[in-house]
Formats: sequence, structure tokens, C-alpha cells
Amino acid sequence: MTELSDELLVAYVDGQLERKQSRAVEKVLEQDDVIARRVHALKDAHSRLEAAFEAVLAGEETIVEPPPEPSGPGIFITWRNAAKIGLAGAGLVAALLLAIAGYGWPLVLPNFAGSRSDTAEVEWTGSLPATWQDDVVHAQTLLSRETLSVSPERQANQDLIGFQLAQAIGPALKLPDLKSEGFRFMRGQLLRAGDEPVAQVLYLGASGAPLALYAKKGEGAADRVFKSYGAIGSVSWSEDGIVYLLAGELNGPRLTQLADKAQADAPKPSALNAVGSVSAPPPLPPPRPPPKR
Amino acid sequence: MLPRLMRFADLLVGTREEGTAVLRRALQRMLAEEHRYQRGVALDVWAFGEIYRHWLGELRDHVNPMGQANIEDESFARLFGEEGEEIDMMTANFIGNLPPQQRLTLLLVYGERLDHADAGRVLDVPPETIAVRLVRITAAFADRLDPYGDESEADMVDAFYPEEPRFS
Repeated sequence: MTELSDELLVAYVDGQLERKQSRAVEKVLEQDDVIARRVHALKDAHSRLEAAFEAVLAGEETIVEPPPEPSGPGIFITWRNAAKIGLAGAGLVAALLLAIAGYGWPLVLPNFAGSRSDTAEVEWTGSLPATWQDDVVHAQTLLSRETLSVSPERQANQDLIGFQLAQAIGPALKLPDLKSEGFRFMRGQLLRAGDEPVAQVLYLGASGAPLALYAKKGEGAADRVFKSYGAIGSVSWSEDGIVYLLAGELNGPRLTQLADKAQADAPKPSALNAVGSVSAPPPLPPPRPPPKR
Repeated sequence: MLPRLMRFADLLVGTREEGTAVLRRALQRMLAEEHRYQRGVALDVWAFGEIYRHWLGELRDHVNPMGQANIEDESFARLFGEEGEEIDMMTANFIGNLPPQQRLTLLLVYGERLDHADAGRVLDVPPETIAVRLVRITAAFADRLDPYGDESEADMVDAFYPEEPRFS
């Protein structure tokens, strides 16, 4: 009789072995009835345990469905529902406090919310950013003047950075020079929205928080759209297959004025390269993949 | 997310009523100590871990911690389905007789589909321990399902045992 450990057999049942190893186990199974019966029992155990926990989830979803309340004068809330409301309220307040405190809703969270099929999570996912524009404006709240002043990655050459970003976003990418508007180019980098790269270019004025221009491949409305997220305002528009979002702690008219400037006279980095004004630098590293869950 | 936290607490404690009470207390603590949340950790993984640690704290503070482990089979089985639903009683009873840490291991990996690293993060154990627990539990349940199996294996899992990898 061949000796195979339960560790190996459970890994086989779970489909965690390499193909070669699986074949080797299958060969043993063909020849050894005792091992084959053991694997059958392990498979049975595995599937029943999995099924049991699927049933638990189904049961919880049933509980969350509010039962029909009796009609009649006044408001009737069962103790069970009152407890649920209390718990839900406590959970939501906790999440809200986390977000306000600056701990919560980092860039990784949209993935967490989207990775579940749990129908009862709708109320939570609703509180998360719905689009990449919303997402990057949330990231904007993490920036400050100190973010730039302590950064070791200060990059002096806007043309070089523009060229590198264009390689990831597209040759039509425009990086405006906003010096005439009082904003100096500080640095550019690649972020990500899901699996797609998003360019972030940061400018700094004489005072106040940084101004950021985000750009991502995609089609959107050509007309400018202004949105405000607390103290941060944003203007987005689309041009040549790239969606832009300009965000900063500025009011609508000022942001629109900057967007005018950005849209009007920004040179395309690819054009710079075409006339040989800069040589092709190595591309920026690709954005990090989403964390494995 | 709340149903998932409720399910976690119910499975941890073994009854729905006590699970809800533990969850309420854990949420209050999370609310009071939200600064403990570390950016970059998935909120669900953090919340599960907080509930588990809260329960562990209550267990440690209890006068008779060993007396807390009694769970009625009937009430525990109700966690696996509502009245009138078909419940795999054998599986439910088996899970009910596992130590809470092992029940949660099953829940996190099979129910929540967390990888071993995240499940280990919740339960404060290395990923290898999660893998070993799953092997032990599955093997013990297989012993129970297989009429020709060795019953003594199945009994082992009901008690505390070292969780180092076992090589046969």
C-alpha cells in the first residue's frame, strides 16, 4: 500500500497541487483502493463542509430581509428589528468615523466591496466611490504640502515625466504648464483605478494644498463637469480618448479657469519626442496589482 | 457587511442570541477604538479580527472560561438553516463540536473565501496553521463519514491538539 499523507490528499481534493503532482496522485488512486476510498471520503467531507457554510450565508441573508410589519396606528418595531437597527447604526457610525479620521476608505477598499456577492452589502458599497473620478478625489484628501516637501521623488523635468506618463496613458496625453497661473509642476506619477493606470500630475501654488491633474484612458463627456467633495473641487472633461480630472482645494470658477488653461495650450508629450527635444527615458514601473484577497 | 459580521459572531459563540450580544459589545469597542484600524487592511478582515479578539478578551476575563464551551446541538444547527429548511445535521453537529477557532477557520476559508493569510490575520495565527487546521478538520470529518474509517481520528479534533503540520 502506498503511503500518502492527509495533507497531500486534502491539497489534491482542494485542487491545490501542481498538474504533475495531481497526475501522480491519480496514478496511485487507480492502483490503490484504500487511498481511493480515503480521497472519496475527503472529497465528501470537503463538499459537505463547504455546502454547510454556503447554507449559513443563505440563512443570514434571509434574516436580514425585513418581515412585513403589522399595519395599524403608530410605529411597531420588534425587539429583533430594533437590535438589528442598533447594530447596523453602530456599524455605519463606526465606518463613518474611520473615514472621517482618515484611516478608512483607502484605495484598496473598492476592491473589497466589489469582491463579494453578498446582497446585503449594497448599503455599504453605496458609500464607496462609484467612479474612478470619485476614487481619485478621495485620494486627493490624503495629500498635503508636506507630502511633496518630504518626497524623495521630486522630479524636475516636466517633459520627461510627461513622456513617461504618456507611454502608460496614451500619446494624446496633455500635461499643461500652469506657471502663468501661479502653479509650479512638482511631480508626476502613475496610480491605478482597478487594473487601469491613472496619471497624477501635481502642481503647487504659492500657498494651500496641491493641485492635481489626473488622466486616464477612456471616453467621457467633452463638456466640463464640476463637482465638489467637501473642501475639494474638481473639473472633469474628455479629450482625444483621455478623461481628465483637475482637483484641488479651489472654488469652481478658479478650477474652471485652470481647466481652460490646461485644455487650451498644453503640449502633447509625444510631440516633444517626435521633434527630438527629449530622448525616450525608461518607462515608469507599472501600477501595482490589486492586493490578493 | 453586517450579516457577515453576525454570521461570524454566531458561529464563534455557537448561538444566535449570544452571538448578537458579543457582536454588539465588539462593535461598541470598535467604535471607541477606531484608531486601531490600520490603513491598507481590508475592513472586513479587520472587523472579523476585532470581534474575535474581543471574544477572546471576554473569555480570558471569565471566571470559568472552560465552562463557556457548551453548545446545544439543536440551537447550533439552527445557524445552518431556518425552521423548515433541510439541514445537514451530521455536518452541523460535527462543526458544532469543533473548538471555536476551528469553526471560524472553516467559516473564513469556505464561507468568506478568504485566503489563508487573511484568515490567519483574523485569528492571529500564521497561514500555515490555517492550512493545517483545514487538513485536520477535513480528515477528521472524512473519518466520521467513512464507515470503515478510524473513529479515533475523529475524536482527536474535538479536543485541543498541537497544530504543527503532521506527516504520516
